[in-house]
Amino acid sequence: MRLYIFAIGGTGSRVLKSLVMLSAAGVKPLDENGRPLSGFEIVPIIIDPHKANEDLKRTEKLLSDYRTLRKRLYGDAVDANGFFANKITLLSDILTDSSIQVNRSPVCNLAAVEQSKFREYINYNTMNEPNQALTSLLFADYQLENRMRIGFVGSPNIGSVALNQIKDSDEFKAFANVFNAGDRIFFVSSIFGGTGAAGFPILVKNIRHAENLDISNMDVLRRAPIGALTVLPYFNIEHNEDSRINKADFVVKTQSALHYYNKTLTNDSRYAINALFYVGDQVTSKPYIYDPGENGQRNRAHLVEFVGALSPLRFAGIANDRLCDPNGYPMPTLAYEYGLDKDVSDLDFSAFGTETRRMVYKPLVKFHLLFLFLRSGLKAAIGRGFCEDSPKITTDFFATEFYRVLDEQFMRAYADWLGEMADNMRSVHIFNIGDLNMNTAIAGVQTKKRSWPLGRASISCDSFVAQMNKLSRDSNSYVKDGEPLKLLDLFNKAADTLVDEKYENIN
Amino acid sequence: MNKNVRSLIFLAVGIVIAIVFLLMPTEIYEAVKYFDGGYSNELYNHGLYSMFAMFIVGITWAMNIIYYYVINSVKFDRWPHWLIMLIVSMVAAPAACIVCNESVFSDYGLVYLSEPLQMAICHLLFTLIMFVVATFSVRWWSSNCRHSPF
Repeated sequence: MRLYIFAIGGTGSRVLKSLVMLSAAGVKPLDENGRPLSGFEIVPIIIDPHKANEDLKRTEKLLSDYRTLRKRLYGDAVDANGFFANKITLLSDILTDSSIQVNRSPVCNLAAVEQSKFREYINYNTMNEPNQALTSLLFADYQLENRMRIGFVGSPNIGSVALNQIKDSDEFKAFANVFNAGDRIFFVSSIFGGTGAAGFPILVKNIRHAENLDISNMDVLRRAPIGALTVLPYFNIEHNEDSRINKADFVVKTQSALHYYNKTLTNDSRYAINALFYVGDQVTSKPYIYDPGENGQRNRAHLVEFVGALSPLRFAGIANDRLCDPNGYPMPTLAYEYGLDKDVSDLDFSAFGTETRRMVYKPLVKFHLLFLFLRSGLKAAIGRGFCEDSPKITTDFFATEFYRVLDEQFMRAYADWLGEMADNMRSVHIFNIGDLNMNTAIAGVQTKKRSWPLGRASISCDSFVAQMNKLSRDSNSYVKDGEPLKLLDLFNKAADTLVDEKYENIN
Repeated sequence: MNKNVRSLIFLAVGIVIAIVFLLMPTEIYEAVKYFDGGYSNELYNHGLYSMFAMFIVGITWAMNIIYYYVINSVKFDRWPHWLIMLIVSMVAAPAACIVCNESVFSDYGLVYLSEPLQMAICHLLFTLIMFVVATFSVRWWSSNCRHSPF
């Protein structure tokens, strides 16, 4: 199954970033019986006219790094286990129609929107007087003057007009062209801003009314299972006299949008979506800087984005008969909310519910231990044990593109992501950041107690080297797979054993 | 070649070499050094060549098994650690041979001055060879030290 994820606006990009991190850790969608889905593939499509925003750029870079690493590990294989398990594909990779040109980027090209003020986009100056008067009633002056390359700055009424052109974009045509029966669509957007709140219903409308599009598979597309994550207010903006985004407006905007969604998206009709996930937090984040300009909008990662990133995976695992009737039309919309197990401001793994812990705890712990191992264990292992088994991992490995992307780029982004989540409100403090000691790396989780007088179990990079040595000795050769897969697969298997063996079980 | 097959071949060759050394110690020792003054004859007459072979094979193989399967730690998986085991073997095995030699000869009132020292060099040589043979025979199944010394 291909899951086309439309990440709309800044929140969409940030949730996608968390999804990439979870995928890197090996979190996979589970079916209703708790088994990992096979043939699962993510196709991200980012919709944001504010291309200079840092959140989008960081997510785009992260996706690129993820794809580089995964390709080196598993080639084009869809199914994989362990780190970087979920395949992430771009539209350009799967597009077979050569008459459609799309960039090798997940970011949708909105050139017409990005290059103009809203006033120019709607040809305000060429309107007759009554139309200008009507337009002025619908849009404030600052909205008409809005340069749309910085997004819609909290104005969904602009977005709802401007984003209507998406259906004519090459990316949307490419998406419609490659969409097959069995694939699903997922939207990620905030409800309290501009781009996301406007883009989501417009795109759903275009898909559910695919008969209006000039495509061959319109019937498959309009009956596509659609899920969505609607992010309710969760962050705060620094007070600024010039700011067009005000936290006080968030709730009003949310109420209006929910009312609209209720009428158009979540009712019992052929045009409704199949599942809607709500997530938000009344405890608002630390204030973000209002900066819609070039290189602005570098917002700290947040708990809401982290748990929100689980929703596309959850949606992918829902059985088809719960989403669609026998004719393929949507059943009444399934609605999901997210709740923490503990209402605390400083969250470790125990604050999450059982289902979340079961899904993310072990993969994230394994990934974090890999992060620590790359920092402080791998160099010392060169020339010994598993590194000496064929294919040998030598010091040359550190100069390879794979290692540089993994260690210098992806893991750095991972550390930033963890740090930002910990430094936000609520603070997601699942790991003790900066602590290279594996015994104390997981916040709130200790190593197992052993019988007297042994004290607690101990885990270190040497524990991993020993376990990887054993696995490498007993395994079939990784010669065909190469050093990257050998390293990550051995580590993943070693961590599987050691996490259970050394740490207290919190699930 | 499959690595398990290769490892088994190394083990088999090592065992054959050790058995040959245990079964034909006289021929091997005397091929390296034969003493004209009667010392070699006395070693042969009292069955000491076999004793020397047993000490050397026993100690070198035991030290290898201890290193690769008892110690078998990531903290001791470098060549210097293997070298320490080799040095211990090269002290212990010749020492055992010399003590045994002196004990038997003193029981029979035999006195040789320079020959036992020259013989000690032979013990060192055979200990070194047998330790390396044992290393290449048993190392492959060690989880942590199989790539030590190289």
